[in-house]
Amino acid sequence: MKPTSKRLYKFLNKEKTAGVVFCLPFIIGFLVFLIIPMGISFYYSLCDYDILSPPEFVGLKNYIDMFTNDEVFWHSIKATLYFALVSVPLRLIFALLVAMILVKPTKATGFYRAAYYLPSIIGGSVAVAILWKRMFAPDGVVNSILGIFGIDTNFAWLSDTRTAIWTLILLAVWQFGSSMLIFLSALKQIPKSLYEAADVDGAGKVTKFFRVTLPLLTPTIFFNLVMQMINGFLAFTQSLIITQGKPMDTTLFYAVYMYQQSFSFSKSGYASAMAWVMLGIIAVITFVLFKTKKYWVYEQG
Amino acid sequence: MFFERRSKFYQFSSGGNHYIMGYIKRSFSKENMEEKQVKRKFLKRAAAVALACALAAVSMTACGSDKGGNGSKEEAASGELTMAWWGNQVRNERTQQVLDKYKEEEGTTVKGQFFQWDDYWSKMATSAAGKKMPDIIQMDMSYLQQYVDKSQLLDLTPYIEDGTLDTSNLSEDAINMGKVGDKIYGVASGTSSSCMFYNKTLLDELGITVKDNMTLDEFIEIAKQVYEKSGYRANLIHYGMYMEVYARANDIQVVDKLGGKSAEDYVDYFKISENGVKEGWHISPSQAADTASVEEDPMVYGSNPDNMTWCTINGSAMLTAYQTAAPEGTDIAITTIPSTDPKKSNYVKPSMYYCVSADTKNPEEAVKVLNYFTNSSEAYKILLAERGIPVSSKIAEEIMPLLSQEDQENAAFITDVITPNSSALPPLAPEGTSEAQDLLRKLEEKVKYGEYTSEKAAEEYFNSANEIYAEHQ
Repeated sequence: MKPTSKRLYKFLNKEKTAGVVFCLPFIIGFLVFLIIPMGISFYYSLCDYDILSPPEFVGLKNYIDMFTNDEVFWHSIKATLYFALVSVPLRLIFALLVAMILVKPTKATGFYRAAYYLPSIIGGSVAVAILWKRMFAPDGVVNSILGIFGIDTNFAWLSDTRTAIWTLILLAVWQFGSSMLIFLSALKQIPKSLYEAADVDGAGKVTKFFRVTLPLLTPTIFFNLVMQMINGFLAFTQSLIITQGKPMDTTLFYAVYMYQQSFSFSKSGYASAMAWVMLGIIAVITFVLFKTKKYWVYEQG
Repeated sequence: MFFERRSKFYQFSSGGNHYIMGYIKRSFSKENMEEKQVKRKFLKRAAAVALACALAAVSMTACGSDKGGNGSKEEAASGELTMAWWGNQVRNERTQQVLDKYKEEEGTTVKGQFFQWDDYWSKMATSAAGKKMPDIIQMDMSYLQQYVDKSQLLDLTPYIEDGTLDTSNLSEDAINMGKVGDKIYGVASGTSSSCMFYNKTLLDELGITVKDNMTLDEFIEIAKQVYEKSGYRANLIHYGMYMEVYARANDIQVVDKLGGKSAEDYVDYFKISENGVKEGWHISPSQAADTASVEEDPMVYGSNPDNMTWCTINGSAMLTAYQTAAPEGTDIAITTIPSTDPKKSNYVKPSMYYCVSADTKNPEEAVKVLNYFTNSSEAYKILLAERGIPVSSKIAEEIMPLLSQEDQENAAFITDVITPNSSALPPLAPEGTSEAQDLLRKLEEKVKYGEYTSEKAAEEYFNSANEIYAEHQ
């Protein structure tokens, strides 16, 4: 037996090798579709790059421009923060509310759960975005409904700086389904004995909710909060289709501005830099959330 | 607890491995571990590993080719061509029919790819980066310079000289529309012009007549009358479209930066909408959304005079679209855009170009398709004036009787109203134009909302737009 083939044989017979081979599809995918593009995007973020001509290294210029010389960048940060910080808590409250109602098993519960989950699936689509736009138009459904209640108005909801972003927030809150499902399963896991003990102590419904249900739900709330917050910062379709950032950049989400920079203004280097700044912002917010975890999240055991 | 978990994991992993290895071992169990067998066993295992790798590789490339999409390389090899355009449903159908017809006549398959305007340019940019641009592309005036600068387009001059692209029925002006520097990179698909559309039915009711080549002052006078009598407002300063008219009239066109000496030159531009909104005769975005969409344009869409307009500006080829979108019984008419100097402002422009990609494997065949789209009567029987009034005078004459009433109106407008009272094409838009346009739209919005004064908007436009152009040089 030749020594090389013997060594190779031994190598192949190791568990480590088998492990690596079976992990390979994931590893290759991870590298090719995530790490390498991220690396390239980081390089582009340091370049002047318009897609058509080769990138030209400019160092930190894009980052410096962004923070010192781009008012719209700050508008987009403001709009995105406002959107995420308002819509996510609202959505969670709404999801919890509906979950509380649907947790009691009745004959129609299954149907209602599916029905309330539906907006989560279709809500991010372009079709719904267009529907939303029509609903809030001056002669849309919203004004017609207001008309029924005697408020005769032609208010242009999407053109007013105060209301435009709220139409987007409303759309986001409406997509509460996935959070609701997670809350539902968490609600079912709360031991009955705790409620019975609370009954014995003479606790009312409100007390039971705040002293038993809510504390035991905090891990779920935390999970939902982190996930939804990240989604909130990456919101794109609603703003692009419904408002295009109008009026006066009040609904210009970060992701939309990034898209404009890259594909409308041919500044892909700048857009890459924006993507990295967004990564930083999300990392910081997630970090802060995790830091505050110990103050309000109830850990079992 | 920690230990337990870990040992469990160990059992599981070694168990799993035994299952796999056992399968291979079982088939060899009776044989001695002689060198030969070891070698065979090794080979078999190596084969198993290779298979796993191959599977992984296949799954990767499968994903990859899904994204890559068109496989234009294979098509080029088999003599097939691709053609890309942006547009609406009518254009998609008609162009596809022409391509089918071309295949019938010439035997060359040309595959069509169509997109929405925004998607089109991101698709073109990314495919140009990958050297995979479609062979024949529809091109816009605002992008031509940029694509030529980046050497993405084929120089058509030699093909015009050798007659592959027949330009004998094209006027000198029409040929020059596609000229960048001293080479020709595109053929205009047709001509059109910017224009003002107005609600003729409404104005007739009010007893107001609009004449062509109206001056700005005359327009404002009419706008005030219409507003007083009916409550309908005007829509002139919108979506950044009026700037070109204004700049041409004042000799401050964009060349490689904004024209004019100082921000002072742009104050009057913003004053139009500032005063208009204050006095009520110009619409503001809080009354109706500022949009480039024909269907949602407040001239044809709205619930009452308070959120509607009696006019709008856009490209003349949109007449059919506006007329279709307008409520029944409303007649939309076409006129020149009011300007302090209409003759300077007016010009006949190429509605779009056909170009050939520099990446094409088959330039000869691609240029032949271009020729078909320029000179074939058969093609224009289908296309009609959808991409503007055909540049070939022979074709234009042929299709005239086939056109719809709106298209005929549009054609007459260009030949009878614009052409005799117009001046030269503006220089091609430099890089950075789309960003500067976006800035302008935002400033117009701020002025109309009363957030900015005209002076402040002019100052910011002059400084920031010039910065944008400088950055893109």
